[in-house]
Amino acid sequence: MDLLNVLVIPKDDPIAFTFFTGYMAMLAASIFFFFERGRVDDKWKLSLLVSALITFIAAVHYYYMRDYYLATGENPTALRYIDWTLTVPLMCVEFYLLTKAAGAKIALLWKLIAASVLMLVAGYIGEAFNPEGGDTAHSVLWGVISTIGYIYILYTAWFGEVAKLAAASNNEIVKKGVRTLAWFVLAGWAIYPIGYMCMPGGWLNTAFGWGSENVDLFYNIADAINKIGFGLVVYGIAITATEQNKAKAKTA
Amino acid sequence: MTKAIFFFISCLLLLLPLVFNAGEISMSSQLLFTTPFLLLFGIPHGAIDNVLYLRNNKIKNTHFIAIYLVFVASNIAIWIFSPTIAYVLFLFLSAYHFGQSQFTHYFDKQPSSHKALYLFWGISILSGLLYFNIAETHSIMVQHEEFAVFSPLHQEVDMLYLFLASTLLTVSFIIYLTAKKFLTIENMFMELLVISLVLICFYLLPFLIGFTLYFIVLHSFKVLKEEYHFLDSKKEISSFKGFIQLIAPFTLLSVFGILFLFGLIYLDVLTFSYGYCLLIVISSITLPHVFVMNKFYGILFSSKRSPELV
Repeated sequence: MDLLNVLVIPKDDPIAFTFFTGYMAMLAASIFFFFERGRVDDKWKLSLLVSALITFIAAVHYYYMRDYYLATGENPTALRYIDWTLTVPLMCVEFYLLTKAAGAKIALLWKLIAASVLMLVAGYIGEAFNPEGGDTAHSVLWGVISTIGYIYILYTAWFGEVAKLAAASNNEIVKKGVRTLAWFVLAGWAIYPIGYMCMPGGWLNTAFGWGSENVDLFYNIADAINKIGFGLVVYGIAITATEQNKAKAKTA
Repeated sequence: MTKAIFFFISCLLLLLPLVFNAGEISMSSQLLFTTPFLLLFGIPHGAIDNVLYLRNNKIKNTHFIAIYLVFVASNIAIWIFSPTIAYVLFLFLSAYHFGQSQFTHYFDKQPSSHKALYLFWGISILSGLLYFNIAETHSIMVQHEEFAVFSPLHQEVDMLYLFLASTLLTVSFIIYLTAKKFLTIENMFMELLVISLVLICFYLLPFLIGFTLYFIVLHSFKVLKEEYHFLDSKKEISSFKGFIQLIAPFTLLSVFGILFLFGLIYLDVLTFSYGYCLLIVISSITLPHVFVMNKFYGILFSSKRSPELV
């Protein structure tokens, strides 16, 4: 009988619309990555599994967030951060897996995970524990701490260990792939602070009146771009490397 | 992405909320906050013009300094007889210089299309700076009578059209040069991101803080780095300490010169405002600097491009 409880998406509510499309897109991407795992070389299977896990975890959370939003009309902040706490460190795992062949050590993985946790925990405190009506000082303090975590990951991806290992890999596909993922961190992840600053007490909220209704729209768009896009880049690397290997084997 | 761009993004992300939390920041507070950075990092990037010029020209140091001073004196004369012309000249030369330093490392040669990009890029960011801070610039003009003569140049509508036209032309030239393979697709996206970030910085941060962040991080640091690598490759210097020793004399001379002029204003010997005095001084050292840097860039990137400079 539960199937009869049809959810109604208001035609003039782009947030509800993006919650639903986000959920379907993430689920579709997960299925795609799971099935495509079988087509790539063994060394890429774990990377594709992680890509599938990222989008699958997001899909499950989007399923709940969609319902929560339609039922309450509020931001599903806690669900959102649970999702990110699981998926963002997994994105850092992707960086580690891609550069492992070039000598990436487990310490790199832990440093990236620590930075992503700092970024997310500080962001969560900044959003969820913001006093009623919004406190700018609270928002700024935790926003700055969160930004430090982001800057560390950005540096590592563009100039630090990840970039150096990719350069040392002598594999053009990996180099190009890591650079594309670094672009995701630079441009794609930059959408999240915009959402954060729309919260009451946040900078965009106070300066331009952008409210919490904008937050979910920014977050949904960013999630779709970053999670599915991230996975597609990894898939691109895996499939190209696999095809190159096959071609080499044929000519040998 | 260069480290300078990374540093710029990091500073912008950290400064934005802090500056916002600080509330309204008066022009004098901005001046107090930014002057040390401008003196410490801004002036040094033009303090070895003589070394750079003499490296590739058969001219004595004393002759070079004499010519340099003639340029400075001519510029001051223009300021005395026609402040408007001097001001417009200063803005145009600065615009070209900013654009040149932003793009020149991509190109081996500098045909007209590249030069047009330099100019439009510079006009875009400077007109953006003035347009986004039109209220602050108007208040300066109201408070200080010397600036009132520039008021007709700062009409909001004109400034908006100039900003939109120059930005559109800049983006068009970036796309055109990408299509012609002078820039890679990644370079194109990076440059579009950089101009967007610079304009966002000017829009969101107070006038002087926004400009100083751009000027120090994206301009001065980049030029200093290029100068350092060039002189290092020519065995003119052997260490960073040597580089500091090279830039120190004229940096100190400039700083003390400015302080001396400020002292004269304080003692009522000179009868104009500190801001106007600073504008004349900066424009007077910018004029010869732009010509020297134009020559320097011609030499630096005409031969094989040096990856460490990018």
